[in-house]
Amino acid sequence: MRKPFLASFLVLLIAFILSLAFGSVFISHKELWGILRGIGDETFSFIIWQIRLPRTILVALTGAALSGSGAAYQGLFRNPLADPFLIGVASGAGLGAVIAMSIQWPYSFWGLMAIPMAAFITALLTVFIVYMIARVGQTIPTTNLILAGVAFSSFATSLTSFLMLRSTSEVRRALGWLLGGASQAGWAAILAMLPYLVMGLGILLFSGYRLNLLQFGDDQAQQLGLNVTRTKTILLVAASLATAAAVAFSGIIGFIGLIVPHLMRLWFGGDYRRLIPLSIIGGASALLTSDIIARIVLAPQEIPVGIITALVGAPFFLWVLRRAKNQGYW
Amino acid sequence: MLKIQNLSVSYHDHRVLHDVSFDVKNGEVLVLIGPNGAGKSTIIRAASGVIPSTGHIRTNGDDFASLSPLQRAHYLAVVPQAISLPPAFTVWETVLMGRTPYLGFLGHASSFDDELARQALSTVNALAFSARPVGELSGGEAQRILLARALCQSTPILLLDEPTAHLDLQYQVSLLELIRELAHTENLAVLVAMHDLNLAARYADRVALLVGGHLKAIGTPREVLTTESISHAYCLPVQVVEHPFMDAPLVLPKSTR
Amino acid sequence: MFRKTFLLIVLITLLLAGCGPDALSGEAPASAAITLTDGLGRSVILNEAAKRVVSLAPSNTEILFAVGAREQVIGRDEFSDYPAEAASIESVGGSMGEYSVEAIVALKPDLVLAAEINSPELVKQLEDLGLTVYYLANPSTLEELYVNLEIVAQLTGEDPTKLTDSLKARVDAVDEKIMPLSFHPSVFYEIDATDPSKPYTYGPGTFGDLLITRAGGFNIGGELTDPYPQISLEQIVVSNPSIIVLGDSMWGVTIESVVARPGWETIEAVKSSQIFPIDDNLISRPGPRLVDGLEQLAKLLHPGLFE
Repeated sequence: MRKPFLASFLVLLIAFILSLAFGSVFISHKELWGILRGIGDETFSFIIWQIRLPRTILVALTGAALSGSGAAYQGLFRNPLADPFLIGVASGAGLGAVIAMSIQWPYSFWGLMAIPMAAFITALLTVFIVYMIARVGQTIPTTNLILAGVAFSSFATSLTSFLMLRSTSEVRRALGWLLGGASQAGWAAILAMLPYLVMGLGILLFSGYRLNLLQFGDDQAQQLGLNVTRTKTILLVAASLATAAAVAFSGIIGFIGLIVPHLMRLWFGGDYRRLIPLSIIGGASALLTSDIIARIVLAPQEIPVGIITALVGAPFFLWVLRRAKNQGYW
Repeated sequence: MLKIQNLSVSYHDHRVLHDVSFDVKNGEVLVLIGPNGAGKSTIIRAASGVIPSTGHIRTNGDDFASLSPLQRAHYLAVVPQAISLPPAFTVWETVLMGRTPYLGFLGHASSFDDELARQALSTVNALAFSARPVGELSGGEAQRILLARALCQSTPILLLDEPTAHLDLQYQVSLLELIRELAHTENLAVLVAMHDLNLAARYADRVALLVGGHLKAIGTPREVLTTESISHAYCLPVQVVEHPFMDAPLVLPKSTR
Repeated sequence: MFRKTFLLIVLITLLLAGCGPDALSGEAPASAAITLTDGLGRSVILNEAAKRVVSLAPSNTEILFAVGAREQVIGRDEFSDYPAEAASIESVGGSMGEYSVEAIVALKPDLVLAAEINSPELVKQLEDLGLTVYYLANPSTLEELYVNLEIVAQLTGEDPTKLTDSLKARVDAVDEKIMPLSFHPSVFYEIDATDPSKPYTYGPGTFGDLLITRAGGFNIGGELTDPYPQISLEQIVVSNPSIIVLGDSMWGVTIESVVARPGWETIEAVKSSQIFPIDDNLISRPGPRLVDGLEQLAKLLHPGLFE
């Protein structure tokens, strides 16, 4: 494809508009245009501005964060199975959220922010602990990171399950959160997430060349002049920040962080200077599409979007993989 | 000029390199030889800073320990063994990465960088396939590419780790001839770790024999490659004779019985 | 460096969280007709009785119909299945915990009735969108149930007296016969036995426990600590209940299947065929049918006293 960025942005724009159009009532693009200019049906206007627009933006940001981080993790670990939850962000966030849910917070702004905040903090805490365990002297061997991350994730997940079993009244709420869904967020959530997303994804966007160097192995990258330990640390922090912020408000949405970077790599090659931004844009489109499907397939029920990303994403990816002409694209 | 002083390396409390000291002069090819595990690759890796070591590694003035990886990359380039290169990059992109120490963090190459990469590819006779993905190359081609990458890093010191290990005979010869020529014409200090004694004898200006992490002998090939020293080092009786048509010694292993 | 970054992030998080909007802003209208404090401690104000109500829980739907507010109910959650006419009311989702906020808003309700199965986040979200939400907390006694019925009646402008009087009378009828008894048969109430070696039962503090006790029985699950604990088969055998009540009968569990379970044959209830199915909704839904549940349990436990 000649112009990957143009194509990706177009797809994102279409997904964005469709996300605003679909819901309990279909709002056509003509009406949308009117609403965005300030005129149009009052109820529709309200639905767009107060419900669909914040939700659409949140979903797009979440998809962007997960895919951008996923691409960075795959480059950092040089492992096609890496996704943003590899070193424990998701399990840590889940544990924090479930612990917070078992406490009766007062009904106030702070009380309701408790759960996303707890999830965010425990997500970062998990990465920190895993990082410390994996560290050997001055280096951070990637194998250690993966092993420590997997082990800690199992620990956190079992603890979470145990807590859910103990407070069975909160199980439904916990499950809903864990399966992922942006339905209960508004403009406040977007504002809270934004700084971490901008910081995290911003750093990743500028790290493409360094990720390229890392593909040749730690030794060669260092011999070419890269401070490997520092680069890995910065990449981990940036990716984890973005992922933790996304997970804190949207729950755990799997698959997007794993599959979108692979799709982009299949279509546009493995140069991380392009792969990271394309994954960010592609991730936003992919999650928006999944969310639209999640909303309309069993309306008025809303299926947790994490289920759709796996159910629809997996076959789609397998189909693309089979049709891929270039072997050994990884 | 590369000065190695009292270099020692330990893996998990096990000493693999004991207090090794030697110099590599500008314009010379110094080849490290010795049995497997003697420490040849270890010296290369310690000198390039990817493993921790004690002792001093210096160039004319600076001690490398005080330099960041980026600074060190201005002095020293490494040609590693050409195994499993990532398929995502073309030959051109790979060689251009040799310019990393001189590019900004976005990795944007100027036309000057492009020109150096082109020249390096031309030197190793690889311009013809510069658009091919680097994962598709044969062992010999890949090794030449890595040499080109190291060359366009424009460093006064070049380290090569077993560059002929996976190559066919003609590539072994052409690569070593090229390295020797570059060392002499560009006045580079070149340190090569190799296990092939006879190739070392032909193409080295000087040879350093390592056994069990100790530097046993250093000097011209004739001085170091003697019947006694090689038999001793490799625990195998050998006969060192004069090469029939090259000006170098020739090591002939005898039977073990 | 990593440590410092981490601390910095935590600080920024706390700072930014403080920049959020204040949730409890709201002005009281000049003449407040109905002012109540709901189960979340929120002050709920209605100018007049609600005419368009969306119910977010099956228990609320039952209560609304029971107090006579059926005309006012314009939306309900997916699980509301009683009474049967509720099915014809528009659904707003809620089966997997996900309600369609848009659907709720599009119905333009003047009151949304939430229950404890709804999360505070949902309440906040609806509140932020300008809707009036009342969160009806679960009652922990029958007396509190009557209060809930009165609250809903007040919100919808109905008169609950006939209902509460009739409920109280029925409960009194049960109490009259049960109070003098000294024999309380031991009961095992089965909520779920997907793993028959550790079935779920009602523990202390639940309505199941309350009703069984009030119906003159002894709930063996009441001796455990968690509200919805798993009780081991061993403990059931040791407690040797004389009656087993199958709350999971509506999910297809039959008496025969219980009798066939290995290790259960020694239990008194199995030996004397005292295993009975029951509609768990009568025991677990915090609505007026709890009284139905009480009556049914009393009949099961003391068949001679009740016709």
